[in-house]
Amino acid sequence: MKKLTLLAIIFATPSFSQDLTHPLEMGLPESSHTRPDPAEYQLVLGNGLVAFVAEADQVPLVTLSAFIRAGKVSDKSQGAAESLQHALKNSGPSGISSGDFRAGLKQMAAEYTVNLHDEWMEISLNVPAEDLDQALRIFVGLLRSLSISDANIESAAGSVAPVPDDPEVESGQELYDGSMGEAVDRFYEILYKDHPFGSRPTMDDFDSLNADDVSAYYAKYFVPGNLTIAVAGAIDVDDINGRLVDLFGDWAAADIPEPKQMPAVKRTRAELHHFTSKNLQSWLVIGHDLPLVPVEEQAALEVMNYIIGAEHVKTRLMVETRYKYGYTNDASGFLEDQWYGPGGYTFRSVSRPEVIENIYRNMLGELIRVRNEEVTDRELFVAIGALADGTFPVRYRDGYALTRSFALERLRYGNHNKSASYVQRIRAVTKEDVLDAARKYLRPENMQTVLFDEEAFSID
Amino acid sequence: MQIFRYLLILTIAFSAPAVSAENYDLPILEHVFENGLRLLVIERPGDDRVVSEIFTDMGALNETPGEFGAAHFLEHLMFKGTPTLGSVDWAREKELHEQIRAAEDALIEELNRARNELRERGVFHDYQHRETTPRIDELRALIDSLNRQAMEFSEEGPMSVWYMAYGGLGLKAVTEQEYMHFNNDLPADRIDLFLRIEADRMQNSIFRNFDAERMILVEQRLDDLIWSATPYYEAMNSLVGRASMVYAPEGYANDFEQYTRRHERELYETHFVANNTTIVLIGGVTLDEMIPKVEKYFGHMERAPEPKRYQGREPLPSAEKRLIWRSGTFAPRVEVRYQIPGVGHPDRPAFDVLAEVFEAHLQAVVTDAGIDGSIDINSLVVHTSRFGVPASINIELKLADASQIEKAEHTLLAELRRLGKEPLAADKVTDAQKKLRTEWYRTAVDSGALAFEIGHFEVMDSWRTLKPYLEARDAATADDLRDLAGKYFVTINRSVGVILPEAVPQ
Repeated sequence: MKKLTLLAIIFATPSFSQDLTHPLEMGLPESSHTRPDPAEYQLVLGNGLVAFVAEADQVPLVTLSAFIRAGKVSDKSQGAAESLQHALKNSGPSGISSGDFRAGLKQMAAEYTVNLHDEWMEISLNVPAEDLDQALRIFVGLLRSLSISDANIESAAGSVAPVPDDPEVESGQELYDGSMGEAVDRFYEILYKDHPFGSRPTMDDFDSLNADDVSAYYAKYFVPGNLTIAVAGAIDVDDINGRLVDLFGDWAAADIPEPKQMPAVKRTRAELHHFTSKNLQSWLVIGHDLPLVPVEEQAALEVMNYIIGAEHVKTRLMVETRYKYGYTNDASGFLEDQWYGPGGYTFRSVSRPEVIENIYRNMLGELIRVRNEEVTDRELFVAIGALADGTFPVRYRDGYALTRSFALERLRYGNHNKSASYVQRIRAVTKEDVLDAARKYLRPENMQTVLFDEEAFSID
Repeated sequence: MQIFRYLLILTIAFSAPAVSAENYDLPILEHVFENGLRLLVIERPGDDRVVSEIFTDMGALNETPGEFGAAHFLEHLMFKGTPTLGSVDWAREKELHEQIRAAEDALIEELNRARNELRERGVFHDYQHRETTPRIDELRALIDSLNRQAMEFSEEGPMSVWYMAYGGLGLKAVTEQEYMHFNNDLPADRIDLFLRIEADRMQNSIFRNFDAERMILVEQRLDDLIWSATPYYEAMNSLVGRASMVYAPEGYANDFEQYTRRHERELYETHFVANNTTIVLIGGVTLDEMIPKVEKYFGHMERAPEPKRYQGREPLPSAEKRLIWRSGTFAPRVEVRYQIPGVGHPDRPAFDVLAEVFEAHLQAVVTDAGIDGSIDINSLVVHTSRFGVPASINIELKLADASQIEKAEHTLLAELRRLGKEPLAADKVTDAQKKLRTEWYRTAVDSGALAFEIGHFEVMDSWRTLKPYLEARDAATADDLRDLAGKYFVTINRSVGVILPEAVPQ
């Protein structure tokens, strides 16, 4: 009796009064989002420095950011960028000691990061609004008068080689993160073998480097026309604009270094690279290079990637690995472009070892299928909506987001044309465009497969 | 639906000190519907998006031993759609689900009958461990076959796909000890989509592809176990707590096979009722606009018997407990834990300040003592650091050299005793309060993070507790911290974990 009652409850017809109109028939409004006008937030100084400033006063915080077109591969002086990163992180502006710099950050309860990429870097300082004056002084000092010493080179060199007696190196978090991270690192080592993006400073490089070399790198790239600034938070925009003029207006204009154009990578035939790993899980990275993509092809590529494997729950890769079979918690695709050279296009998964080969086969099968068949109308509809109405608008949702987006775009492209046309380009993508993008940017014949597992499998 | 209660509550700005207090202002608007559903809104005019959260007051605390992780698994099952979202022929699919359910009932009967025959009572288990009988095999094969047939009439990702299509971002669900929540970030003028989908999920979920999804929990468990630290922390949790489920993880490997559709359905029907649910909206919407919309989608739900809230009472502490752990990969350390009260108790907010102040102080003390180690103080139990039930504060001293363990423990315990008698300098407390305040601002500036905090406090105690909680942290003094240490950091309330290298003779 109890069982019958339960069944009746489980499959009871939904209440008649419940509105279960299908989403397609709900009459949801068209998107009303328009990208903000960058000119409304922009300050251009006579020396070429461009800043974007916006108020965001929900809480009494301020973020000061700088984006500099200088990275690991920008200069022939190997190790200079890494050493400069350490100076930015640890030494601070000249005129104060490293200890006082760190103490000042702590006193402000600052969140301070310096992220170094291959072709650019980002400095970000988030502080309570009450500490804006002090934070601005530090920020200006970091950009205009950084303290650089041989100690920065030593600490950068120290981070190249692992410290063998570090008790955490072999412990939990590192073991786990290191495994997928290590698989991705191995993939890029293989992809960028003999390519400048694959070159990393050695101990010999650091040994032959001195503080003057790092200072020269700093002087060359930290010039007004080679960086952009973003300021957002509980601020008065006019006040900040005035202060930026006072703090940076007398910074002498200098030659803007030409971005270093990178060669294409040498493509090779598909190959399995097996790394023996006896663990509870196995890690898999499949991929190849991503050449510089012309603007007119970027939208179709993004749509194709969204359908096949972008980081959400209803991709083809997820359906064919996770949902149907319970093989893995995640199988996703990663479009990782670079500014002036080839990036990577990878597909990654992790699972218990006994099903990792199944995952490989299913993922590869989907990569081949998207090259052979047009996507469905629904897939296209979903991807376009997700990109045009979802991921794009949130880049401009508040002052913090929009100043960062505009500052990065201005530094990379010199204008804002790409974001101005983004939604229109995405909405114009057709099924044929997606098929063309798949055939051009997915190349199974060049796929390099990195496998961390106890045993290898055949990729034939 | 009649409006049962309509409260407009604007939190009032504090008068002093100006910088800190007035910025805890949380203009939360509340409306409670007749069926008990609670709606909380922060209006942000000009924001063209809205962050939406739906919280249910249930989680791992509502599980039973042997089926740990069942609440988390339910969350996964609630992504599988409903009759109107995800089925291409519900009449035929429904029939197959009924057959699956009947087969599962028969399987449960057979497992019960065969238990003594199988003698499946080993100590060592993994997720592959299984004994069977021909009848069990037959029923499992039947369920698998029926499931494959049912899959022919359904589609995957049937709810998330519509969020994506209409610009929804950050769709995710999280289940912890006290809550399950689903959230999304949509264009504000498409909020109806959230309400339509979540009301459907709350009432009409179909647990499709149950066994494949079970293996996803295995994968997530392996994600935990791949950390060499996990078994230690789980052992430490179970040492600290004697009665409360707050110390249980989200499923051991031997639990996964125990999950049944029947039990998951019971959890679902008991807890996913209007008067156990809170919706939080932050963004470009108004309460006045949202009341009729929420009523449209949730108003038909009737008030149900309110699920009993988990009390989380622990027996009075009575003795110091000790765990000796040996590891070849996990750094040597000494960890001291004390049970502390949950959110809602007047002592709880100052523990956040205490953790900040004592961490820096204890670091200086151990360094001065010549101990090469680093101090971390947290209140993390399983994945969560704050609860509405008693949990623990954890003081961990990680060492570079195992030979210093004895000295480290002695130094740590001696200083903790002293801190219960003598206050630290007031400026240390002030610095810690500024850090906590700034961290709160970093949370509050993110609509998603703020919506979570509001919902979390509602589950732990009440959303009205959030602001006083933050204010109480600012009001704590050095004497208050001393008194807390004196009251809670006592021997009978202490659990000590010691991690030794494997090489040390046992």
